[in-house]
Amino acid sequence: MIVFRDVSLVYPNGVHALSDVSLSITRGDFMFLVGSTGQGKTSLLKCINREVRPTEGEITVEGQSLAELRAGDIPFLRRKVGVVFQDFKLLHQKTVWENVAYALQVTGAGSRDVLRRVPRTLELVGIAHKSKMFPQELSGGEQQRAAIARALVNHPLILLCDEPTGNLDPETSSEIMALLARINAKGTTMLVATHNQAVVDRMRKRVVRLVNGRITRDEERGRYHVGLG
Amino acid sequence: MLDWGKVAFFWAEVAQNFTRNVAMALTAIGTIAISIVLLGVFLFLRASFDTVMKSVVGQVVIAAYLRDDLKQPAIHHLTAMLQADPRVDSVRFVSKKRAMMNLRQRLRGQMNLNVINTNPLPNTIVVHPVDPANVPPLAAEIKRQPGVDIVNYGSGVTEKLLRAEAVFSAVGLSIIVMLLIATSLIMYNTIRLTVFARQREIRIMQLVGATRWTVRWPFVFEGVLTGAIGALIGIAALFAAYRSLVPKLAVNVPFVPFSMSSVPVQHLALELVVVGILVGMLSSMLSVSRYLQTA
Repeated sequence: MIVFRDVSLVYPNGVHALSDVSLSITRGDFMFLVGSTGQGKTSLLKCINREVRPTEGEITVEGQSLAELRAGDIPFLRRKVGVVFQDFKLLHQKTVWENVAYALQVTGAGSRDVLRRVPRTLELVGIAHKSKMFPQELSGGEQQRAAIARALVNHPLILLCDEPTGNLDPETSSEIMALLARINAKGTTMLVATHNQAVVDRMRKRVVRLVNGRITRDEERGRYHVGLG
Repeated sequence: MLDWGKVAFFWAEVAQNFTRNVAMALTAIGTIAISIVLLGVFLFLRASFDTVMKSVVGQVVIAAYLRDDLKQPAIHHLTAMLQADPRVDSVRFVSKKRAMMNLRQRLRGQMNLNVINTNPLPNTIVVHPVDPANVPPLAAEIKRQPGVDIVNYGSGVTEKLLRAEAVFSAVGLSIIVMLLIATSLIMYNTIRLTVFARQREIRIMQLVGATRWTVRWPFVFEGVLTGAIGALIGIAALFAAYRSLVPKLAVNVPFVPFSMSSVPVQHLALELVVVGILVGMLSSMLSVSRYLQTA
């Protein structure tokens, strides 16, 4: 479903973010991207929703080469690839409902569709009762649930999560990860960049480690560090 | 085909943004209103000045004094020929008898004209030109006609008047153009600041799959609305000032050469609304394009 072939990414300022990354992720996978800050986790995710273009190599998503995408096609790719950020990136002047509905409305969905899908998605992530509140009136965990709902409402094939628990306490982090696992169980391919060791060790999913933009480990049912447990 | 569902969504976005960013919207509208007032005052003054200049220059006529030996058929012929000229608005014949009567009337009580036995005044053809700029060449042509003795059109003064009108018109136009550029830049910068404050929002819209036009349209609609509301407020202020100031100025400073009441104010108001809407729309489009990413 997602294939990286010898992908390298050098930013205009000369920083080498990714070097010769080759990776294959099958549909329905749950994969953790681990590594300390600045190792290339976010850059790898950004390549998948075409926020950045690799300087070398090829990426395909669902058989479609991203290099061949025209600027006008990118929004349509992004409707298939939901993104969840560490800082939530919610629109502050919109309520939770409106934030989620917006992602649907920009695809041209009609109001009947919006009225049907938004409450269902809010129910799924467990914040239906906060739908009329603004993001700044919610806790960090609730904001992240709203962001997940927004990413999910278009039924994306893939969900990219960039440090989704980075701003949350351990208990809330566990709840969010349990939610992501539930979404994955319904068939959504999940890529989670994190340096939350406890979460990775508990879930025992595929773990890919990045060091200086290179993959140094790719392990099924892996742990955060090698050789533990 | 026009997608009414999307249009409704865009307007709903505009309404939401107006009501939830009231301070920002009011700042933009206020700045546009002030710019429109400035522009409106200058457009109004220029239009008034133009009207005065045109009425002064419009009073220029050509008086062709005819020789006494020119017979009636020749006078008719000359009058008809001038009437047929496209540069001529109207032609009036004043006989020497009528000229004397007019003079007597004008000088009644000041001078006794009965002492003059003969009538020294000539038959005259008075020509009103369509465009005062044509007066000098037209006068020269009339002068060449047989039977025409002297042609008088205030030579010298008319040319100066025409030159002055051209200079004032050019200076006025330059001031308006500069002012238009300055006010457009002020409006553009204000709208750019409101868009700048929302660049994070634009980025998020793109990340959730909004196309460039889906992001752009609500901003364009908002620019149109901001420009239109700002212009209408500016025009309302101008009308209020016009209604209260013009009658007072006409009474208290009648020597000021501005013809306030003859200016086409509705036309000016329409021009200002168009300026407000166009500048609002273009400013929004340009500003959003700066923050839309293509990667």
